[in-house]
Amino acid sequence: MLPSQRKRKITISSLSFLFGFSFFPRRPLAMDLMHHSSTFLLPTIPSDHRPSLTYALVVLNQNLPRFTPLLWKHAQLRLCADGGANRVYDEMPRLFPQEDASDVRRSRYKPDVIKGDMDSIRTEVLDFYTSLGTEIIDKSHDQDTTDLHKCVTYIRDFAPDLDKSNLCILVAGALGGRFDHEMGNLNVLCRFSSLRIVLLSDDSLIHLLPRTHHHEIHILSSIEGPHCGLMPIGMPSSSSTTTGLQWDLNETEMRFGGLISTSNIVTGEKVTVRSDSDLLWTISIKKL
Amino acid sequence: MLPSQRKRKITISSLSFLFGFSFFPRRPLAMDLMHHSSTFLLPTIPSDHRPSLTAAQLRLCADGGANRVYDEMPRLFPQEDASDVRRSRYKPDVIKGDMDSIRTEVLDFYTSLGTEIIDKSHDQDTTDLHKCVTYIRDFAPDLDKSNLCILVAGALGGRFDHEMGNLNVLCRFSSLRIVLLSDDSLIHLLPRTHHHEIHILSSIEGPHCGLMPIGMPSSSSTTTGLQWDLNETEMRFGGLISTSNIVTGEKVTVRSDSDLLWTISIKKL
Repeated sequence: MLPSQRKRKITISSLSFLFGFSFFPRRPLAMDLMHHSSTFLLPTIPSDHRPSLTYALVVLNQNLPRFTPLLWKHAQLRLCADGGANRVYDEMPRLFPQEDASDVRRSRYKPDVIKGDMDSIRTEVLDFYTSLGTEIIDKSHDQDTTDLHKCVTYIRDFAPDLDKSNLCILVAGALGGRFDHEMGNLNVLCRFSSLRIVLLSDDSLIHLLPRTHHHEIHILSSIEGPHCGLMPIGMPSSSSTTTGLQWDLNETEMRFGGLISTSNIVTGEKVTVRSDSDLLWTISIKKL
Repeated sequence: MLPSQRKRKITISSLSFLFGFSFFPRRPLAMDLMHHSSTFLLPTIPSDHRPSLTAAQLRLCADGGANRVYDEMPRLFPQEDASDVRRSRYKPDVIKGDMDSIRTEVLDFYTSLGTEIIDKSHDQDTTDLHKCVTYIRDFAPDLDKSNLCILVAGALGGRFDHEMGNLNVLCRFSSLRIVLLSDDSLIHLLPRTHHHEIHILSSIEGPHCGLMPIGMPSSSSTTTGLQWDLNETEMRFGGLISTSNIVTGEKVTVRSDSDLLWTISIKKL
């Protein structure tokens, strides 16, 4: 099937940022409120859920998290970053041992795009997906950016038919393996700080909380928590304030070499965060 | 056996930091040179190796790390008797932490063997690794600390906040040599107070490596020995950091105005 003949399921959805007035009298200017929720980990996303997001999935070259089929189901666009295609080819059938491997690969879990410098993907895997019509974007000449970076720019700048006004990019296999790869993935969060990007592994999810917004994180206790953490990335934070954590911050300074918030606990259904610096939010994913 | 009856093998060893004059004429002040080498990954550490750091003289488990030694050490020696592996060969000297992860039977087992148990469950302000490092630095008797290097097994993977907590221990104890280790990578701090020479053992590590600022951006970092060397290059999260770099030879040098993390891949042999 030629790429042009592929149909993608598109749902037009809209996201409205709620303009929240400041809760704190000392801050005369209202700051936009940004909502976060891990609904992409639910079997079905409630239709009235807000914000209503369009998901794109990027699969990296690590062991597939056990919930990858769920992410695949929610995503409008599915990319493999180079050797991530090996992972989909090898490991998706293993998640469905009762089913025919060939059917799993061909019909159900065929990526739309494979992009990267192509130094990890196996030849037979590349040939397999090419024959199925997956778009192959070879960026082997570009050694200045990581494969994840290349995939995010593709999604942001090129992917046609994708409603990007309310986009959320899910990254499977973002942690574990080589530490420099992990740091490169964190850096992608920082370099694309205006995009919603969620890094996922079997154990944790991570996303950026930009300093430009107040944040409300809606906790789905059936699938995540209670362990969580907040840490400044790149620059220390002179002042961060939270609600909803066992050890809340109260205009607290955070920096590497000093205090960062790890092994914290969510105490309810909502966590709020505001800070003068970009923070990383992380929460544990439950093993069900 | 009472703790006082336990004998620890102590080897007196010495480490000399080489005082290196600056290689770079623009820097009028000499900065101490700090050498790094992953000899702890070799089967035997050469006796003439400098700096001279001997193999582990003290073995601690941080809380549930004791479960891992108990369960997994015998699996690494499937031909041997599990009980012998646990009792004679791989008994930790100390178990320290808030004790919320260690299984009761494991705790009882090592207690009966004479392992020192330090229960810090009242202290929720520091991580288990932090507690162990302070124990090593402040309390461990009979340990020559003038040339100390703390090796941390199982520092990566699992929960991300744990990983960040472990990185933060490197930063909080920046005057100590601490190496974080996983199956895939090792990480240690390169303090801005020193020039650094990293001696690459290509049989066991590399070629993939990385350098990244931790905590603060770096206005200027310079390296030699990498495929993509830095030349007074700025590094920061949100901009350039050095990942997927390659070591090109036996030595890498690094100097920076900011504390950096050095990471290199560990070969699967």
